[in-house]
Amino acid sequence: MDTVLAKEKKILYAPEISEIIEAKFLTATEKFFKIKLPGGRDLKHIPGQFVQVSLFGVGEAPISVCSSPTQKGFFELTIRKVGMLTEKIHELEAGDKIGIRGPYGRGFDVNAFKGKDILIIGGGIGIVPLRSLINYIIDNRNDYGRLIILYGAKSPSELLYRDELKMWEEREDIEYHVTVDRSDENWKGNVGVITTLIPPLELDLENTIAAIVGPPVMYKFVLLALKSKRFPEKNIYMSLERRMKCGVGKCGHCQINNLYVCQDGPVFNYLEVKGLEEAI
Amino acid sequence: MDKKKLSLVQFKRVRLNEKQLRNFTGFLKTKGRVYAPHRKGEKSFSFQEVDDPSKVVFNYPRTILPLKKFFQPPIETLLEFTINDNSYELPDIDNKNKIFFGVHSYDMQGVLRLDYVFSRGEPEYNYLKRRENSTFIGISFEPDEYHFSGSVGIDVENTEGFSIFIDIVDEDNYVVFACDNTGEELLKEYGIKDFESGEYKLKEREFKAKLKYHYGRLPQIFEKCYNYDVWKKVSERCLGCGNCNLVCPTCYCFDVEDDVDLKIEMGSRTRRWDSCMLNEFAMVAGGENFRKELYQRTRHRLHRKFKYITDHYGYPFCVGCGRCSQYCPADINMVEVVNDLIKEHEEREKVYV
Ligand SMILES: Cc1cc2nc3c(=O)[nH]c(=O)nc-3n(C[C@H](O)[C@H](O)[C@H](O)COP(=O)(O)OP(=O)(O)OC[C@H]3O[C@@H](n4cnc5c(N)ncnc54)[C@H](O)[C@@H]3O)c2cc1C
Ligand code: SF4
Ligand code: SF4
Ligand code: FES
Repeated sequence: MDTVLAKEKKILYAPEISEIIEAKFLTATEKFFKIKLPGGRDLKHIPGQFVQVSLFGVGEAPISVCSSPTQKGFFELTIRKVGMLTEKIHELEAGDKIGIRGPYGRGFDVNAFKGKDILIIGGGIGIVPLRSLINYIIDNRNDYGRLIILYGAKSPSELLYRDELKMWEEREDIEYHVTVDRSDENWKGNVGVITTLIPPLELDLENTIAAIVGPPVMYKFVLLALKSKRFPEKNIYMSLERRMKCGVGKCGHCQINNLYVCQDGPVFNYLEVKGLEEAI
Repeated sequence: MDKKKLSLVQFKRVRLNEKQLRNFTGFLKTKGRVYAPHRKGEKSFSFQEVDDPSKVVFNYPRTILPLKKFFQPPIETLLEFTINDNSYELPDIDNKNKIFFGVHSYDMQGVLRLDYVFSRGEPEYNYLKRRENSTFIGISFEPDEYHFSGSVGIDVENTEGFSIFIDIVDEDNYVVFACDNTGEELLKEYGIKDFESGEYKLKEREFKAKLKYHYGRLPQIFEKCYNYDVWKKVSERCLGCGNCNLVCPTCYCFDVEDDVDLKIEMGSRTRRWDSCMLNEFAMVAGGENFRKELYQRTRHRLHRKFKYITDHYGYPFCVGCGRCSQYCPADINMVEVVNDLIKEHEEREKVYV
């Protein structure tokens, strides 16, 4: 057994105090932040990775990086207000400070995806980590095949990144499909759950990678829909969310059976979590 | 490497009576802070700093809490911050010389397992720094109805991790072994000049509590037992109180919380021991909980002891101290639970073969 006693002083739990350079509401419950690390240093993350965001006196939470690493000098987060900490973060504006640790976890293996068609399936706030992957592919468009984006939200007012959605819709090299569970008077698009977008797709099954992120219930139904298309399980990747306290494989909170979401994930290949009762 | 029998015979040794051993404990105080078992209640014991060597208890069944409290304190400050200007300081971590006197072999093994988890992956400075400059002096014990460390490969006389090991022959007769250079130097400085060596006959010590299988066969059970009935049967009695986690030498999960002063100007980020047996432990956004049933949490706890970490560590993470059994308000006994799993395994395999 090799026990490394404290050699270098690397404090796992010490955040870097960073500056918010832009803050804006995307919806009533989601706020977008552009953040600069001290000295404008790059975060050097991989799409799908997360950071631990902290506010002294309130706490810390894992938040996915929603910008692509191809953008330098800053990174972006989108935060939904659900409780104490996220409520306080929503009060912050440009010029305010925030603590950042990370990036942590395993992201999407963008190198292994090269040359493949990419099918993105995002439900609700699941589009947040996927935006990092989408923008990465857009910035390296020639390295990848088709880019198909399926996005589902509860209602039109909950759609995030609306300027970008328009761009995705207009670009010739992106196949973008969106649906809402409940429409409103202005909505002209699809109505229905996200799984209704899957059957019409024509896919090169062996050469397509599916990247899925959404609320726990969505996975079950999306997986079923992919299964009935005979989509190869080995080509499915998903990002899972668990309670996290440390982000570095110590506190035990994020454990799914033998896996630590903060280290072995949050992005998993479907085959890694398939038989695990605690996973989906 | 077999942890089972690091034969004591190879070490130099010296025989001390009770008075001499207490003197030696006093002498250790010149070398650093000394912690040793003290009587707490009528039948309970606790590791405390030695003030008066006459208060140290040599022969005891187990302390309430294992040594982890010294390296990962129940509440530990990670940062001290000032809210207005977003500044913070890291607290000093005390790594002064510490000597732990009178440690049982399974508790030493508990510390070695924590060393493993805090040094693998991203090594954790806080734990490792606090753990530096620690010397361990082991002592033998008479297994009671709860100890089963023998079944997980840890003999009473296992000396791994110890600088000195003391075999209790009787109340006034202690055989003190120098297990490494540090130990030998300590004994020499104390004034021991002549060591004996050669044959040494150990007492026969039988464990009353035993797992039905040798630990080497447990992976075979934990490979298959995920959906056994035992989990649900056990959890019918379990209160979900989390005591078993708190007293366990190899449980280290924690929660992190910010505390602020009354003026909401300054505060600290602290971590505290947490328990995977508590309902909130694995709850996520929207109240979704992937281990909401007690049986799932019991199963998770035991898998952490015998399967998940064991798969890469090579030995059970349970060191057989018996604390979770002794301090469980519902009398759930670790040995019984594992033996019931073995029994169910045998029954099922017979049916399906
Ligand atoms: C890898 C990962 C990436 C994430 N990315 C994003 C993101 O990009 N944007 C975003 O808005 N949210 C994201 N989350 C969820 C976010 O971490 C939680 O919403 C946040 O921790 C809630 O903190 P709070 O103090 O505001 O709420 P609390 O007051 O702590 O709790 C409100 C609710 O959230 C639950 N909860 C508490 N902590 C967590 C947690 N760490 N994870 C999940 N649920 C929790 C509670 O059980 C409760 O139901 C991510 C979570 C993970 C694990
Ligand atoms: S100590 Fe006993 S009752 Fe309490 S959670 Fe553990 S097994 Fe259940
Ligand atoms: S699981 Fe129980 S017997 Fe095993 S080490 Fe922990 S407290 Fe001791
Ligand atoms: S978040 Fe602490 S172990 Fe994963």
